[in-house]
Amino acid sequence: MDHKRITFLLALIWAVVAVLPLFFGGTNFIMHILIMCLIWSVVASCWDLIMGFAGIFSFGQVAFFVTGSYASAIISAQFGIPPIFAVFIAGGITAAIGILVGLPCLKLKGAYIALVTFAVHMILEPVLKGDIGRALGTGGSRGLLTIEPMHIFGYTFTTASPVPYFYLMLLVAVICSAIILVVIRSHWGTAFLALKDSQEFATCLGVSAFKYKLMVFALTSFLTGMMGGFYAHYVGMLSTRMLGIDLFVTLMVILVIGGVGKFPGAVIGAFITIAANELLSPLGPYRPITMGALVVILVLLLPDGVVGLFERLFSRKQHGITH
Amino acid sequence: MVIEIADVIISGLINGSVYALMAVGLTLIYGVSKAFNFAYGSFYSLGGYIAFLLFSLSFINNYFVVFLLAVPILLVFGYFVEKALVAPLRKRDDWEIKVMMITLGLALFLDNSFQVIFGSRMKSLPPFLEGGFEAGDFYLSHQDVGIFFLSIGGILLFRWFLNNTRTGMSVRAVAQNPAGAQIVGIPKEFVFAATFAISTVMVGMGGILLAQKYFITPMGGWDILVKAWVITAFGGMGSIKGGLYAAFIVGMLEAFVGWYFGMTWTLIVLFAVLLTTLAVRPQGLLGKWG
Amino acid sequence: MIELVDVNAFYQDFHVLKNVSLAVEKGQIAVMLGPNGHGKSTVLKSICGLVEKVSGVILFEGDTITGLGSEKLVDMGITYIAENRELFPQMSVLENLKLGAYSRSARAFEKENLEKVFDLFPRLRDRRSQLASTMSGGEARMLAIARGLMSNARFLAMDEPSLGLQPNLRDEVARIIKQINDQGITLLVVEQNIPQITELADTLYVLEEGSISFAGSKEDALGNDHLKEIFLGM
Repeated sequence: MDHKRITFLLALIWAVVAVLPLFFGGTNFIMHILIMCLIWSVVASCWDLIMGFAGIFSFGQVAFFVTGSYASAIISAQFGIPPIFAVFIAGGITAAIGILVGLPCLKLKGAYIALVTFAVHMILEPVLKGDIGRALGTGGSRGLLTIEPMHIFGYTFTTASPVPYFYLMLLVAVICSAIILVVIRSHWGTAFLALKDSQEFATCLGVSAFKYKLMVFALTSFLTGMMGGFYAHYVGMLSTRMLGIDLFVTLMVILVIGGVGKFPGAVIGAFITIAANELLSPLGPYRPITMGALVVILVLLLPDGVVGLFERLFSRKQHGITH
Repeated sequence: MVIEIADVIISGLINGSVYALMAVGLTLIYGVSKAFNFAYGSFYSLGGYIAFLLFSLSFINNYFVVFLLAVPILLVFGYFVEKALVAPLRKRDDWEIKVMMITLGLALFLDNSFQVIFGSRMKSLPPFLEGGFEAGDFYLSHQDVGIFFLSIGGILLFRWFLNNTRTGMSVRAVAQNPAGAQIVGIPKEFVFAATFAISTVMVGMGGILLAQKYFITPMGGWDILVKAWVITAFGGMGSIKGGLYAAFIVGMLEAFVGWYFGMTWTLIVLFAVLLTTLAVRPQGLLGKWG
Repeated sequence: MIELVDVNAFYQDFHVLKNVSLAVEKGQIAVMLGPNGHGKSTVLKSICGLVEKVSGVILFEGDTITGLGSEKLVDMGITYIAENRELFPQMSVLENLKLGAYSRSARAFEKENLEKVFDLFPRLRDRRSQLASTMSGGEARMLAIARGLMSNARFLAMDEPSLGLQPNLRDEVARIIKQINDQGITLLVVEQNIPQITELADTLYVLEEGSISFAGSKEDALGNDHLKEIFLGM
């Protein structure tokens, strides 16, 4: 999809989302879901950026999210820093960790990168639960139960009236997605595509693989960590259960539905997936089974997700007109 | 103290042998078709549950029959999964990511189906050999010895298959040069499906062999996937010899770290070793690029 | 024996072969010349089922074989010998040869063909246990041809068999091509302009920009000025 279309689609999506509270503002439950959609749309877009565009099989997204959420919570609790600043600092810390993780991955290929980043995910749980974690203030296996809610200029965002937080998150999501869009449209984006297609050739042309790979690690982990912070100060509590396989799978489903490398597919995917998740909850224990089966069917039938489907429909229409 | 260390070494060897079986399966698929099977852990549990089901049939009460039935079931299942889920994706772009996604969906489906069908309580299988060797305080169960020899036997059988059968040679051919294999008229699609099926048998057998010691749980496969993955990467993806060495090294390392520092440290140490190795040799111990 | 009628071939969206028509009579040697990158290999690969997007008609002894995969074609006696050789590096010479006889129709003749091949290439017999990756360029080229012969082929599509070889080895390649042809095998050889090989041709084709720009005998070629321009010293 060309850049103009992507921008248009993104603007359209946000415009639609922005008016949703007019219909659902009265139902806290739905607003809560929409806030989660906004948070996950950014996280998923970051994953799409690093995996779908830069071609790096990073499986550390959830780990970065959890790192950011814990970091923000701890910073605001232990250093008295207001949450609105804590989330950015948390983003920075996560970015630093992202670079540390990215460094060994520079020389690795494909599945090896997936393994190393997944390793970070696997190690995080014992670290957070264990002695190191407790010393840092993670609350060990109990987790953190009282996290300072977000407040700006004296106004406190609570879960009791979620609409304001929704708009805050919408603003954040729009900015983050704009950043990602700018990256894709810039020479970064071209460099990523070149690297993804053929690293050797691109490197010959002077594209510094190392620099761009590290940058994409830094950017995606910063944004993801920051969203983790926003999550923490909204939900008010954290536990290492977030590191279970569920969140990881949800992110993956979002990309399957939205389409990998088809920004802003991840945004559309987030809304559809989280909504579907809720709709299917009456199924109880059968829900994950259904999700699993859906993923299998969708990957086979809709290989490029919803966005890919639109693309195919549009291109057919175009051919119809010109012939 | 000596006995403790002996126990640790034996535990390392036995686990290592089963890990070897499973690691070879994973490296096989990757080496031949560059696919990554995220449902590998679920196939491990599948093996255990199949054995459990077979045992619950009153007329089956010995392992020989269970193995005899489980192997073809796993073989056919693996073959079918490859043909239906993996093969159609090969022509698409980003197919490696898509294969990961579809196998992840499959893992989700299987694991939760196990949960619904069998419940989340651990299931156990009866040991296939009773009793053991005793020498003072030292005890080595016949079961453990049996597991070791069965695993090694499985690997040797596989090696014989690779070197001495036509299909085995075609597998090696596709792994070494897919273009050459096509030129010579080897049906690549069949080889992909066959290797997937074989790897399913290997990891499923691992599930049966270890079921008596470590029990069968719906989500237990994830640890196995990660371990097999670590071992395969450590040994070099696509290298069977590498996988073998790595499996035993990891088995021993795990046993010693677990004994000396506690089980929670094993994963961290394993990853640390893996990372250091990859930093020096990005392709693993014996891996080759390409 | 092999006939192409208005064949078009594509790599992704790139149109490589444009309405190519040619015929190779049974028992003949046809040689195809032309500048690099203009589709010569693609012609061979299309015949041997190694190109995905092919349209038009390809006939083998009158039967349509367009779109068939390499497994079937090798079984029918049509084999491609790659310019890159595409050997199995970690296998011995003997194993490579045995794999050449993978198809069902070739299996029955494996022992026989092995002897034939060793007679044709005595050096390979000496090195039968050697790993393919350790062979020199010339030996690897011989192994690739030998492996192709193991398939009991009746038609061989050879892609630049003398590429990268020293002049004396080129003579040997030409000699081997003649010997193979004498045994009754039809050949379509793609080459740079190598006198020893073009000498052997019963029919000459020139492929430029994906289309046949010349088809005829050696004598016809000598009288063609355009060709003389492109290929000095024909």
